[in-house]
Amino acid sequence: MTTDDDLHRSLTVLKQLHNRLCSLNLGLWLMAGVMLALAVGSFARGSAEGAGLNDLPLLLWLREAPLSFSWWLWIAVALLAVLCLNAILCGIEALRKGRSLAPQLMHAGFLLIALAHLFSAYGGFKQQFQLQEGGAIGFPGGECVRVERISGETGSMGMLSAYRADLRVGNGALSGVRPNAPLFYKGFGIYLKEVALDPVPIALLEVHREPGAPAALIGALLFTIGNLMLLMQRRGR
Amino acid sequence: MKWLLIASIPVYLFGSFRRPLFVAALLLQLAYLAGRGLSLGRLPLIGPGDTLAFFSCSIALMSLPFLYVRELSGERRFFWSCGGLAGLFALLALLFPTLNMPLPPILDTYWFELHVALAFFAYALFGVAALLGGAFLLKGGRGFLDLQYRAALTGYSFFSLSMVSGGIWGYYAWGTYWLWTPKELWTSILWLFYSLYLHLRAKGTDWDRRFAWLGICGFLVTLFTYLGVSMLLKSSHSF
Repeated sequence: MTTDDDLHRSLTVLKQLHNRLCSLNLGLWLMAGVMLALAVGSFARGSAEGAGLNDLPLLLWLREAPLSFSWWLWIAVALLAVLCLNAILCGIEALRKGRSLAPQLMHAGFLLIALAHLFSAYGGFKQQFQLQEGGAIGFPGGECVRVERISGETGSMGMLSAYRADLRVGNGALSGVRPNAPLFYKGFGIYLKEVALDPVPIALLEVHREPGAPAALIGALLFTIGNLMLLMQRRGR
Repeated sequence: MKWLLIASIPVYLFGSFRRPLFVAALLLQLAYLAGRGLSLGRLPLIGPGDTLAFFSCSIALMSLPFLYVRELSGERRFFWSCGGLAGLFALLALLFPTLNMPLPPILDTYWFELHVALAFFAYALFGVAALLGGAFLLKGGRGFLDLQYRAALTGYSFFSLSMVSGGIWGYYAWGTYWLWTPKELWTSILWLFYSLYLHLRAKGTDWDRRFAWLGICGFLVTLFTYLGVSMLLKSSHSF
């Protein structure tokens, strides 16, 4: 009898917890909480750009930055984690009840984008190199990418209107990098950030690894499909 | 060319309660932007002068379908408030000089133009949604609220697409689809705000007034994201 009562009580508690976690009210409060944390963070002492947040993967930054800088982001991440759980449970509940698929696709897209951020926060990488012609960037496995030629065109206002760097990759092939046209090599992206031609041609190259990018793209596609479906459903209503 | 923009302002401010005049002002602005685009060889989307003019034109353009819906057929004050909003931002655009330089190489991509143009269409629809919220609070009538929801949902869709195109551009330009800048934080806040707004619809008719108010507050968040961040916060992601 006691065991039955305990089981019943546990099930009731679990059900209450489930109901609370998948409630709309909780989702609304969590969204408001994340907004507030980000808004305060944009003004805070350790705000985004000022505290070097773009120079390190997020998890590393959170571990190393003083709490007086990172507190707002800890709050935002914690609330976002519960919001993701809320979205998952709401999505399952809605699918179980046979509700429209469109919002669930949007939820799935949002969750994938959040997951993408987690991947990048853990395994992201960024390093800058200032190289002249002949300079090289070493990659894991001993291979390197060498800068063969740096060139640019000066526009009517005296600024560089176009610039590029020709890179010789490990297998001997020659590839050019330009703004908005990086070179992808061995899982890394090589980006040309700046070029100066005087007194000698020099290029600022940035090597990135963004492991969350594929998940973010798939998430964005799912979200967009769900969004378009929702727009079609709501047309005229 | 600037006279086209200047000419549109009084038409918006004093004549837009009549639909033909509203359309005439919009045509003047479109002609101004087209001329400027042709002379620059790109969409005029850099600097506060050009973006405010683009925003003003977007407000009028996005208002246009609402001016012709059956539910708002006699609502001249609503027509005028849309025109007034467009006129106000056109007036603000005149306070800033226009930048006539070519696009810096990093901005010279269709992803950038798509990202910015979609964001302004979204901002404009959030503005229209706010005006519809105001109309509901002043006059009542659930039709205003339904239209507010549709304007905000369409704006939210444009805004989401703008964020996606911005992410793709960022990945090709900077190696990451996300940067921690005040602009990105406020973009996320704005996106979350309208996510919350759209979810609130599920709360039912008891929440109608709060729903209308939220639509109005959303436009204030929009304005801060667009203008406030650029003017008050230090961000590399700005006009």
